[in-house]
Amino acid sequence: MPPALQNPVTLWFVLTAALAAACYFGLRQELRLRAVLYGSFLIACLVAIWPPYGKDGQPGKIHLGLDLRGGIHLVLQVVTDDALNATIDDAVQTVRDQATRKGIAFAAAQRVDTTSFSLEGVEPARVKDAQAILHDFFRDGWDIREPGEGRFLVKMTDVLVRQIKERTVKEAIKTLERRVNQLGVAEPVIAEYGNHGDQILVQLPGVTDVEQAKRVIKTTAQLALKLVEDTSPSQESLLQATGGKVPDDKEVVQGQGETPGQPVYYLVKKEAVITGRDLKNARAGVDQNNAPDVQFTLNPQGADKFKRETGRNVGKRLAIILDGSVASAPTIQSQIGSEGVITGRFTTQEADELSKVLRAGALPASLKYQQELTVGASLGKDSIRSGIIASAAGVLFLTVFMLVYYRMSGLNAVVALAANVLILLGAMAYTGATLTLPGIAGIILTIGVGVDTNVLVFERIREELRNGRAVRAAITNGFERVWITILDTHATALIAAAFLFQFGTGPIKGFAVTLVIGLIANIFASYFVSRFLFEWVLGKRQVQTLSI
Amino acid sequence: MEILKNPHFDLLGKARYFVAASLIVILSGLAYIAKDGLRYGVEFSGGIQLILKFASAPHVDRIRSAVEKLAPGAVIQTYGDASKNQVLIRLSGELKGEVENAGKPVLDALKTSYAENPVIESSSEVVGPIVGAELRRKAIQLTVLGLVFQFAYIWFRFKGAVWGAAAAVAVFHDVMVTLTFLAFFHYEITLNVIAALLTLVGYSVNDTIVVFDRVRENLRHRRKEPLRTILNDSLNQTLTRTLISNGTTFLAVLGLFLFGGEVLRAFGFAMVVGVLVGTYSTVYIASPFVIWWQGLKERRVPAARAAL
Repeated sequence: MPPALQNPVTLWFVLTAALAAACYFGLRQELRLRAVLYGSFLIACLVAIWPPYGKDGQPGKIHLGLDLRGGIHLVLQVVTDDALNATIDDAVQTVRDQATRKGIAFAAAQRVDTTSFSLEGVEPARVKDAQAILHDFFRDGWDIREPGEGRFLVKMTDVLVRQIKERTVKEAIKTLERRVNQLGVAEPVIAEYGNHGDQILVQLPGVTDVEQAKRVIKTTAQLALKLVEDTSPSQESLLQATGGKVPDDKEVVQGQGETPGQPVYYLVKKEAVITGRDLKNARAGVDQNNAPDVQFTLNPQGADKFKRETGRNVGKRLAIILDGSVASAPTIQSQIGSEGVITGRFTTQEADELSKVLRAGALPASLKYQQELTVGASLGKDSIRSGIIASAAGVLFLTVFMLVYYRMSGLNAVVALAANVLILLGAMAYTGATLTLPGIAGIILTIGVGVDTNVLVFERIREELRNGRAVRAAITNGFERVWITILDTHATALIAAAFLFQFGTGPIKGFAVTLVIGLIANIFASYFVSRFLFEWVLGKRQVQTLSI
Repeated sequence: MEILKNPHFDLLGKARYFVAASLIVILSGLAYIAKDGLRYGVEFSGGIQLILKFASAPHVDRIRSAVEKLAPGAVIQTYGDASKNQVLIRLSGELKGEVENAGKPVLDALKTSYAENPVIESSSEVVGPIVGAELRRKAIQLTVLGLVFQFAYIWFRFKGAVWGAAAAVAVFHDVMVTLTFLAFFHYEITLNVIAALLTLVGYSVNDTIVVFDRVRENLRHRRKEPLRTILNDSLNQTLTRTLISNGTTFLAVLGLFLFGGEVLRAFGFAMVVGVLVGTYSTVYIASPFVIWWQGLKERRVPAARAAL
């Protein structure tokens, strides 16, 4: 093919022009317009699907569903409570900082549940000031109440709760997109799912290492580097110095000790020196002992903070906390600038995956698996084969039957059916709809409905002929009398298909898509194209008999 | 070639026996389902389904003994063509713990106690209980809504509730009979089967509309005759089309059932039954229903006729 014709639009234009020329010389005037119109539409479909299957790793024009090419389909639930809790924790921290700064004494500030916190035992003389702080910092989206003297209860409004949930899901989707990109999956689907607003659908066609993909998706990857105050093999001994209570500005984090299976507890400052948000880049590497590690670079803002804090705390230990557990806690040897290393007991693969998720950023909340579907590639190939065999058997049978039963008119029907399938595939290629195994069943069913339209028309024509009408009148009457019937049957079938389409994603949606497109294509092919063919073949001659 | 030349059967004469037979089938189906319940696929019941491809011909007994300790009562059967060395394992019911990696313990157990025949490829489907319950609710809701909308459409198009109601009753009958057959033959209700049922809702109503359309046309110039005669004539006039259209569709879905592979078998079965029942219900459920409805209102037909 010359390069100019590689462009589908040019190709379509050239073929249509050729058709128009042929029609001008070869067809009667009243048929020309329809011939060019119908023909150019079919040519557009043909151009759209070419080439249907991929060669040499190039994707074909027809997208195959997961069930046909193998891959993973996951439905994940975003634990939005995580994000709400984090917001409340931030709020509590703000209140503490502000009260301390203004010298207001209070008994406690703490989280009540996922959407509210309380401030209690404020000294009576300063209640007004405490009130001012709360109203200053929690103006929009919060509901402040005073159930007792010196007691405050601050609760998020439903609007804010919804906003946070929505934002969390959106952020999670963005993060997952970045992570999936690093896996190098072609045509992934990552989208909101269901009606609850907290589910995400992830489809990764063609993925072979299922376990790795799942790990990379699931890791929350919350990274925080915090200064270590104390360590101990048990939580009790760790808190002896502070009287068994965790101080307000500190927290206890667990980590692996020197001997595997032996936990070590770290008392760390609550405020992080840097977090995952301060990272510019991360990559897997090896340390001087050839053990795998992850090296990171900080963005300028993070680097400033890191430099200041490490310079101030030389000799202290810094806990590297990943998803709530300490990976390692190296001692700060000297001031560190914009680069650092995360060591731990990583395998090479773990280090590689960790660097990937750190690059892609942390998830704003953890994820729960609700549904998982994996299809092996060879099972997919088996499905394609049986789908094609079933379709071929159906098409072959219908062709033979129509030719035997309706003779030359049967040929007309077969041409119409071919046009029907061509339009169906063309529309699927054009809209990027996915062909699934049930979708193939949908094509077979479309062919069945297409035959029905032809049979309706042909039987009506036969009836008209039996009643003694001339051939041409019988054809006109036949087509016109069944038009209402065809409209009604297709409308009801479309109603059913529309509800099928509501039935969520995946293979069933693929089925509904083929059914809907097929039904519409059917009206065009089995009614309009078929009628045109009759008029074309009969010509202007005065025909006495019809091969039907 | 013609299979029937100008048929004139008294199709509605024996209608009451067929209606009775349909009722018996549906009631026994309901009783059977009430007693044994429908078998839901993993996407509805929640649980794990694994399809494993082994290096050589697998021994189901060996697999069973390897998996039994882990999951008592697991369904284990060969899957697809025997030469493919495939086995299906299903652990249904409540999942313990997380959905994530739920199938891994099974694979690990096989790796240790059936090491000589390794799994070379696996497909898995893991569904949490929430998703399953939601799907069940959605499936019923959508089927009912589909019926309601079709009822409304036909009511509107034929300007009479009787036609919409007759079509809806016939379709409901088809869905119930198909469900009965699915239950009798121990097919599972999977997503694909629900798709087949919803398709039937569309397909079966087609048939009914073709006949009603003919009734509408006949009523226009045969106003004096009783509705029963007109219905019977319309059924006869469309009989050839009914037999050919449904016959060809039947054979096409039969091909799906026979050659479509494991995944489409239940789908094909539901369609095969549905196409047959859909044809039957137009003649013996929808049409008698119209006559019965009109008979309830008055002995004659003016209402339905006046509407058209």
